[in-house]
Amino acid sequence: MASSSSSSSVAASPGLTERRGIPGAQFVEDVQTYLTQSGLDVNSALAFLQERLQQYKLVEMKLLAQQRDLQAKIPDIVKCLDVVATLQAKKGTGEGLITDFEVSEGIYSRARIGDTDSVCLWLGANVMLEYSCEEAATLLQKNLDNAKASLEVLVADLQFLRDQVTITQVTIARIYNWDVHQRRIRQVAAAKDT
Amino acid sequence: MQQGGGSDTEVTWEDQQNINKFGRLNNRFHELQDEIKNAKETNDNLEDASNELILTDEEVVRFQLGEVFAHVPKEEVESRIEQMKEVTSKNLEKLEEERDSILAQMAELKKILYGKFKDSINLEED
Repeated sequence: MASSSSSSSVAASPGLTERRGIPGAQFVEDVQTYLTQSGLDVNSALAFLQERLQQYKLVEMKLLAQQRDLQAKIPDIVKCLDVVATLQAKKGTGEGLITDFEVSEGIYSRARIGDTDSVCLWLGANVMLEYSCEEAATLLQKNLDNAKASLEVLVADLQFLRDQVTITQVTIARIYNWDVHQRRIRQVAAAKDT
Repeated sequence: MQQGGGSDTEVTWEDQQNINKFGRLNNRFHELQDEIKNAKETNDNLEDASNELILTDEEVVRFQLGEVFAHVPKEEVESRIEQMKEVTSKNLEKLEEERDSILAQMAELKKILYGKFKDSINLEED
């Protein structure tokens, strides 16, 4: 279902909010009214809510995986920025940067990086482009900012999702309790009649 | 017969919001535990590194920069490590402050929710 990215601020009244394709869980004011309105009996209502809970869990797994990816990506970008900054700093001095790098597992070789104006950035999909140091720094910074912004949105999505899960779990418990309560009342009434 | 279920306490939207907030805080608390553990580890590693630096008598140290080890003079490495140590300890402080504030908020919410629901709600770690 199409959705505009509404903010996930908590509604003043128990409204059905929805966020980026995640359906909101309806808050139940009164169990009796809810059951009559939806026309479901207790077992069907419980089954429906359980199914909703499973759907939420699936989405949660997906979001958590995305979050892990982003959280791994950000330190990588920071490291790259560091290297570019060091190369830029060395540029003026005229002496090269001597580094030991890994040729194969456990085997290192020495390299002397002379005065360079450009670096190559790996863009993914087997593509590597050469940039000047300034352009590379700008591009990396932009990527870092984007990654951080995406992570923020993702975290907010997860919070909204977890709230919906909590609401659904509480509703399930309440319907179940209400049913037990009703049965007890009926038992007491039946015992009185006999 | 006193059964656990079948209670009559009504759950208002405000209660639900409190429960949601408690859940959120609890999640954040666990995330913070992990982050604090990592920050402490990084701090320890930096401490060990600077101790090793003092002991070594080489002039040029191989300092890890990205995926390679750059040859950097000892003084520069020392100042870099000092800088990194400052950043990590500030970060650690901030994380611990956030964690303490979250614990306080959770204790508040526990009081409110247990006050209303008593036995019908369980807010402890399993």
